[in-house]
Amino acid sequence: MSANADERSIAAPPPGLWSQGWARFRRNRFGMAGALIVLALYLVAIVAPLLTPYDPIATGDVPRMRYVPPCREHPLGTDKFGRDVFARVVYGSRISLMIGFLAAAITVILGSLVGAAAGYLGGAADAILMRIVDALLSIPRLFLLLTCVALFSGSVWLIVILLGATGWMATARLVRAQVLSLRNLDYVKAAEALGAGGRGVIWRHLIPNTLSVIIVAATLRIGGIILAEASLGFLGLGVPPPAPSWGQMVFEGREALMSAWWLSTFPGIAIAVTVIGFNLLGDALRDAFDPRQIA
Amino acid sequence: MRGFLVRRLIQSLALLFIVLTITFFLLRLAPGDPMSRYDNPDFSPETVRGIRESLGLDKPLAEQYFRWIASFARGDFGVSLRYQRPVRDLLAEAIPNTLRLTVAALALHLVLGIFLGVLSAAQRHSPFDRVNTIAALFVYSIPSFWLALMLILVFSLKLGVLPSSHMQSLDTEGFSALALAIDRAKHLVLPAFVLGIASAASTARYMRGSMLDALREDYIRTARAKGLPESRVFLKHAFKNAALPVVTIVGLSLPFLFGGAVVVETIFSWPGMGRLAVDAIYARDYPTILAINFTVAAIVILGNLLTDVAYGLLDPRIAFAVGKKG
Repeated sequence: MSANADERSIAAPPPGLWSQGWARFRRNRFGMAGALIVLALYLVAIVAPLLTPYDPIATGDVPRMRYVPPCREHPLGTDKFGRDVFARVVYGSRISLMIGFLAAAITVILGSLVGAAAGYLGGAADAILMRIVDALLSIPRLFLLLTCVALFSGSVWLIVILLGATGWMATARLVRAQVLSLRNLDYVKAAEALGAGGRGVIWRHLIPNTLSVIIVAATLRIGGIILAEASLGFLGLGVPPPAPSWGQMVFEGREALMSAWWLSTFPGIAIAVTVIGFNLLGDALRDAFDPRQIA
Repeated sequence: MRGFLVRRLIQSLALLFIVLTITFFLLRLAPGDPMSRYDNPDFSPETVRGIRESLGLDKPLAEQYFRWIASFARGDFGVSLRYQRPVRDLLAEAIPNTLRLTVAALALHLVLGIFLGVLSAAQRHSPFDRVNTIAALFVYSIPSFWLALMLILVFSLKLGVLPSSHMQSLDTEGFSALALAIDRAKHLVLPAFVLGIASAASTARYMRGSMLDALREDYIRTARAKGLPESRVFLKHAFKNAALPVVTIVGLSLPFLFGGAVVVETIFSWPGMGRLAVDAIYARDYPTILAINFTVAAIVILGNLLTDVAYGLLDPRIAFAVGKKG
């Protein structure tokens, strides 16, 4: 009897990295809260039309409807053009989430490729790539963004690409560090001995094993991307109006701050909640999946 | 030590060079001819040709590149398209104002961040610690422009105790030196707070972690075993060692400070580099934009160099090792 039980426990596969991390993540209440917030946000973005009957873009009946304070008909009030603020905030989530996700994807892909290449190739290639990374990191992200927006005229896709192109550096460093630590492991050397070329090793061995680091980095970056996009919108250089970009809404509310405080307040809260959600999620993911913390 | 310094200096110069190259090619990549704003019947073809020559746009790309690098090295940043003044003058006026703001914000960031971080580590897991952690996350996640507007709403518009724009009041005629100083300080409060608070939050978190790591070390156990009072263990031993990595934090936070200054200066009409940059963007004033990019990058690189040197001097492990190598 006991022999069978022992056999079974020995034969059972040990919990893998993913299920271990998962269990740790579930135990983190802040992380679960963050996950819930993010999920709720995506849900809101998807079912936006169901949540509000108002059109976020169309100008309302201006004389009657402008600057209406929060009331039962318009829970978050209306703006200068008679548009319902709640509707704009809800539809605005689509813009922020989409931009955040796409830009984060670009960041991650670019950063991983550069970091993996630098870490794996080493030597001169590594030095050059890392110097470029350092140089780019020296220019504050907003300055880079503003410069590019000034040089190339704005559009949603441009903003997505720019946000991605200005944020990949930190990911590159992380991936490079991870690759450097993995590179000397035996199975990598074995693959090389068997004749696998550089690209093969990078694709098939190094990147999958840095995946957890990459995912955590991506989640933590989304918050920063959303803030950057909001800042661009606030400076009037983001997504062109009348699209309901949260940052732009805060900007539009600035001129009526004293009398119509709701115009700037609620979009700002929306930004804050979104970023908090992603940060909580990212932090919890990092605590759960950080290879260094898993004994 | 000298070898270390020289190496870092060369690295910094290389970084500056790369920044210049990148900005040069960014400008060249941009669609549209930089001369297009002169595409105007008011300008005679000779004038346009003359301007083109003076801007060096008729020369081959490589020569333009080297002339550009050379002029930047000389400190000649060209003429602002918007203000028709040398960019260098504009920068000379704006930089001190931005420095005033960023230094104040940095001071707030360090004082608050370190203090709260150490306190949180001392009262680990207490309600204070928990509230601090949540507050820090919150502060770190809200957009700075929104925080600025909310603070303006409360303190300037509703309560009227703090000014909401500019570096000093408009009517300071006959103000004594003290009154002027107080007036300027009042104008500095909100912008510096908004600029520094987010960094303070992340530094507090980092400091807390660093303190907790330091407290786990063996020498702390020894100190306690020696019978030293806990406060001394905490402050004299743990803190000094935990504070060291925070020096590098200062260097790392410089880009965020300057980036944040863009938004803060715009909201508070603070006449610094950030606002100059935004105005230049609106006006497509390329010489100014590029010069500001370069200057900010230079300041950040210099700041990193200084913090690296400071860290090398402060950390006895590095100073000793480097000293041995000479």
